[in-house]
Amino acid sequence: MKRRDFIKTTSLASGMLMVPSFVKAFDNIYQKAEGVKRLVIVQLSGGNDGLNTIIPYQNDLYYNARPRLAIKNNIIRIKDDLGFHPSLKALRDLYDAGEITIINNVGYPNPVRSHFKSMDIWQTAGSSHSKHQTGWIGRFLDQVAQHPYEAIEAGESLSLALKGNRISGMATEDHQMLYRISRDPFINRVAAHKQYRHLSEHNLDYLYQTMIDARSSAKYIYETTNTRASSVDYPQNSLARQLKASAQFINSHLNTKVYYHSLSGFDTHANQPGRHARLLEMYADSMAAFVRDLKKGGTFDDTLILTFSEFGRRVGQNAANGTDHGAASNVFVIGSRLNKPGFYNELAKLNDLDESGDIKYTVDFRSVYSAIIKDWFHINDSTIIPGDHTALKLFS
Amino acid sequence: MSRATVVDELLKESEDTTPFDVNLSDFLQEAGRISRSPKKDLGALIKSSKQKFLQLNNQWMTGVFINKEELRERMLLFWANHFVCRDSNVYHMQLYLNCLKENALGNFRELVKAVSKQPAMLKYLNGRQNRKNNPNENFARELMELFTLGEGKYSEQDVRESARAFTGYNHNFKGDFVWRRWQHDLGQKTFLGQKGPFNGDDIVDIILSQKACASFICSKVYAYFVNPQINEEHIRELADVFYKDYDIAGLMHYLFNRDWFYQDENKGVKIKSPVDVLAGMYRLWPYELTDETAYVKIQKLLGQSLLDPPNVAGWPGDRAWIDTNTLMIRLKLPSLIYNLRLNDDMSSGMRGIRKNPIKARYNPDYVTFHYPEFTTDSLSRLVISEKIGQQIPLNHFMGKSRPLALVRLMSLPEFQLS
Repeated sequence: MKRRDFIKTTSLASGMLMVPSFVKAFDNIYQKAEGVKRLVIVQLSGGNDGLNTIIPYQNDLYYNARPRLAIKNNIIRIKDDLGFHPSLKALRDLYDAGEITIINNVGYPNPVRSHFKSMDIWQTAGSSHSKHQTGWIGRFLDQVAQHPYEAIEAGESLSLALKGNRISGMATEDHQMLYRISRDPFINRVAAHKQYRHLSEHNLDYLYQTMIDARSSAKYIYETTNTRASSVDYPQNSLARQLKASAQFINSHLNTKVYYHSLSGFDTHANQPGRHARLLEMYADSMAAFVRDLKKGGTFDDTLILTFSEFGRRVGQNAANGTDHGAASNVFVIGSRLNKPGFYNELAKLNDLDESGDIKYTVDFRSVYSAIIKDWFHINDSTIIPGDHTALKLFS
Repeated sequence: MSRATVVDELLKESEDTTPFDVNLSDFLQEAGRISRSPKKDLGALIKSSKQKFLQLNNQWMTGVFINKEELRERMLLFWANHFVCRDSNVYHMQLYLNCLKENALGNFRELVKAVSKQPAMLKYLNGRQNRKNNPNENFARELMELFTLGEGKYSEQDVRESARAFTGYNHNFKGDFVWRRWQHDLGQKTFLGQKGPFNGDDIVDIILSQKACASFICSKVYAYFVNPQINEEHIRELADVFYKDYDIAGLMHYLFNRDWFYQDENKGVKIKSPVDVLAGMYRLWPYELTDETAYVKIQKLLGQSLLDPPNVAGWPGDRAWIDTNTLMIRLKLPSLIYNLRLNDDMSSGMRGIRKNPIKARYNPDYVTFHYPEFTTDSLSRLVISEKIGQQIPLNHFMGKSRPLALVRLMSLPEFQLS
């Protein structure tokens, strides 16, 4: 029996109409069973130039392919052969503390170079041919979640990644505004009227159920979130604002398993250097503030942060001092329980590119997802990540 | 008027096609200039293209709102979410929409063949990269899986063989179809049990000779126009009619004349698409969003950017339209557009919404003049599908002012269904 039906029949049978108290009772049992581990995702939209992010600064092939665009000065040297872009100073501390794993050459077979198709592939954990209507986080929610607030996207609309079959996450830019909208007296009246009716499988009841879920999720977030502002200083940019809001939720111990964020502008076809440097700085500084905030709140140990982009960029620069759409690129995993901090693997050979002149993938992104589902959340990944992908050994 | 006459009228109204006609001469000039000197800055072109896409989108919305060719507009929305395509070249996108619109009520065979030769589609599903020595299967696969037969009605070998038949398809800058003989594979192909030196059109003919194709299309039409819950018996009935000649207008004429089309079980069961919600409001109380970018923004918030479909499978529709965010926006939208606070009553005097993000033009007296004798009850029958409207305790919700009553009705979950 579905839980919703259970609540309805039980509440009707006992004459109780206080649905929220039932929901609460379930929550408590559930929390104990599953723990509080959470995943934070940062999506770099537009295709981040991985090669100018993690730089093979000893490699002539790199400098030859990018006569004007290659980074030559102030590289943060991390390894004998790889360094960080000068804008990534803030990530250096994470690296030294063993709190970041950099996975090189992450991609998938037959890479697609259209932004939205490739983004679809990453968000659905699909392949070049599949057309999933649900995202990998959505399918994860299908297995473990009871409420939309268990996955929150910072933004005004919900990405495919968070859409499931049975349940989807929710998006919110401003949880107080969401709460106010959901408390509109007229909507209150409509919702109240509906609680007295039996809900069936009809689409109308689906709408009412969603409305009630939206209201209870908005209420839950509003009431559970600690209103005291964080004492950590965040930079002024859109990603920092999103992460600050999420840190507030996390440090208030919301029972939310996934937080989704994005920073766009990485589609650097022309005049790349200045823009890319600014974006990387925004990313690194925001991330550093976020990690500080979580550490202060004592929630960092149970948080894992994944950063990805829909593709990397071409190895050779173009005529407009930029780069075109590429294929495999790097993925960052940040947390305190990493099995292999630092570099997970070597950068692929720059003299063995694919037919478009792009880096060949050596790690399938779905094996990263598998590791997160299986070894971080301890959930069976077979229905969440399609295909047979051996999970990377990311966690200790 | 009898039902048959109404249906005939509906089809007659849509005999003509008003094409999309966003003026793209500047855009083409700029694109031509840049193609001759590739080092030129693309900024101006991208800006102009963005602007033109906005215009194209708004022209599409206006067409659906005004509804001069009602059935054709409806079929265009249907086909655009069937033959899903997306292109960054606004000129080719307008050509594509016009192709769908012109053929929307014509012959399905011609429609498929025309779509297979459209520049936007040749780019979207890699038809241009499909060459004799290096075939690309993308279009051939989607043609069968999504456009004609449905999954499981063909083999991987059929995909490979039909891809060979479509090799050599290309287009020129103006968007005309170009067949490149030297890239076309003239050899024998074995496809769905038949053998021959087939070309793309032959493949379409062989696909359409399968009854499964007629059934597949009729199922989609049924889910869209009748009920997302498929009635197999009705599909068989429709497929028998459609299979004879693949005449789309004929199919729709037959469908609209069925008794079962009008049965209660098919009323109030379909979740409106975002565009249907916006158009539904327009028809009850006309409005115009004053900011040129507003339609695109609202589409995006509600999850249906007409010119930016999620993937080649299109919007799944039905319950997939609804999540906690989109539903709350749907419920909030009427009060924002007509700038009325839902909880106001005449007694307290009506006030607008503070910091309303949506600026709309509308005639504030429209409701009073247009529905002079209406009671809340009859207004409700107009706004809400009657099958589900009976259960609303109207007096409990509606208050005294007619405009407010109308906006409140449009803010009920019931309004999301048709």
